[in-house]
Amino acid sequence: MASVEIRSLTKWYGSSRGIEDITFAIEPGEIFGYLGPNGAGKTTTIRCLMGLLRPSGGEVRVLGQRVAPGRGTQHARIGYLPGEFRIWGRPRAISSLKMLAALGGDRSSAAQRNALAERLDLNLNRPVGDLSKGNRQKVAVILAFQHQPDVLILDEPTAGLDPLMRQIVLDLICEAAHAGAAVLLSSHDLSEVSAICGRAAILREGRLVEMAPISEIVQQGEQRLKVWFKDTAFLADAPSDQLPGVRIIERTPGVLHVAYQGAADPILKWIGRFPVDRITTPQTSLQEAFMQYYQQPGPLDATGDDSKGHCP
Amino acid sequence: MTRLSRPPFPFGLLWFWFLRLLPAWLGIAAIMFLMQIAIAAIVHDNANVRTFLGFLRLLPSIVRTALGGDMLDSGDMTALLTVGYQHPFIMFLYMVYAVGVPTGLLAGEIQHGTMELILSRPITKVQVYICTAILTLVGMFSLVMVMFLGTVASVHLYAFSEPIDLSLFFRLAINGGLLASTFGAFALLCAASFGRLYLAIGIAVGFLTLNYFIAIVAAWWPRLEFMRKATLFYLMYYSAIWREWPLENMAKLAAILLGTVIVGGVVWRRRDLPL
Repeated sequence: MASVEIRSLTKWYGSSRGIEDITFAIEPGEIFGYLGPNGAGKTTTIRCLMGLLRPSGGEVRVLGQRVAPGRGTQHARIGYLPGEFRIWGRPRAISSLKMLAALGGDRSSAAQRNALAERLDLNLNRPVGDLSKGNRQKVAVILAFQHQPDVLILDEPTAGLDPLMRQIVLDLICEAAHAGAAVLLSSHDLSEVSAICGRAAILREGRLVEMAPISEIVQQGEQRLKVWFKDTAFLADAPSDQLPGVRIIERTPGVLHVAYQGAADPILKWIGRFPVDRITTPQTSLQEAFMQYYQQPGPLDATGDDSKGHCP
Repeated sequence: MTRLSRPPFPFGLLWFWFLRLLPAWLGIAAIMFLMQIAIAAIVHDNANVRTFLGFLRLLPSIVRTALGGDMLDSGDMTALLTVGYQHPFIMFLYMVYAVGVPTGLLAGEIQHGTMELILSRPITKVQVYICTAILTLVGMFSLVMVMFLGTVASVHLYAFSEPIDLSLFFRLAINGGLLASTFGAFALLCAASFGRLYLAIGIAVGFLTLNYFIAIVAAWWPRLEFMRKATLFYLMYYSAIWREWPLENMAKLAAILLGTVIVGGVVWRRRDLPL
């Protein structure tokens, strides 16, 4: 049974569209990346998932239970880190964390909370208002993880953290997934998504345009070819005139770097007309793949393989 | 498997909010208590009463009306003591609590972004609303009781030349508590309906102020007497409260209070919060 199931989820704000026909599921132990530019509908999806917004259509289930808006469905088993974390400034961090943990009757999270604070190098006895932005984000991380949830919904969990702390938070996410938690990770940092997520969905203008294992997303779209010609003075003519689907990334004397879509045969045959020194095939990054989805129109079929995260 | 279970009542949130409100409540309660003793200190002495009445006669008639109207001219000490219950400053303090608490807790937590954290825990929106309603209504009612205790303390502190009917003040306090809680319920409705803190405060303050001034002006200007019934104060001041328990008016106030709280709860539960 999937830990999180979203079926045909739609949310309209009056006459403007928030999200439309979103469908995906997250299995226990899976880290699922949720990507999209600002305003694409990531936060709307997350808030519907948390029951903070009333969907216009569709269904959301968490741990087998249908989410009823405003009813705190399964919230005792969900760790939530909002995208814009704001907490009371005057109380000490530990007071607010204890109060929020106690809502719903959880009074057994003290040991986990202290262990997290130690790992994140955070003094919980200071008022939150006195903490730096990064340290406030650590409070948010502790809030999400302190009750050892079965589902983690994390919206930009590493925002404002230094690289060391960022790695610790990524480790925490991986450990939670290894322990069986389902993780929804919304992030603009595509390197961290590609580092820890097994699968990702890409959202554009409120619709899913892709959902697949990260490796597939990276492989889909353009492939890269970098060619060094023997004659360094040789300046190859732009092949895009003769070969549709080919895009020149870099052209310097003796070097041609192109991106192509579809089969490699036509571009290789064209290159074969010239004296070639060597060829490399640079890897497309998730960021490049992500950018391509925003340059192409039209949603894609939102189906993908189940695959677990590939944490180290 | 899909049956919805209700989360336990969030006593932690109630306690957290109570501790936040306590300093403000204690401050207002102390002022109200001391105000009753100060009024009693003036009116327990005949010479002071004459000076006090002279001072009242110097005031514009509309201000005298706000302080109690013609009943003060009789020089009756019980009537003079009620100035402490009707003084505009006391009304202002009630308004601060009645408006500040529900708007600060509901609209304020939304505006500060902390409502999202609260609702991310096992707690329902209705439970959040009930916590706010408890703190608003119990807080308002207990302020009125503190005011009554101030009168009780005054009667024991000072020797009055005529007997003071404390049962009248108890009736006034209970009815005042109902009226104050009804205004608190209206502020609660505003807080549940508007996400923006200052919009909620503005509408609640506007409603309270309008009610108060219509009540004063209608009592002061005979041509506007017909407007008395347009305010909630009518259910308090124009009743038979001086002689007996005004059960009919109390029932009306209680019904308005309950209805307003329920409507606020329904609005709060159904609307998407601007988190």
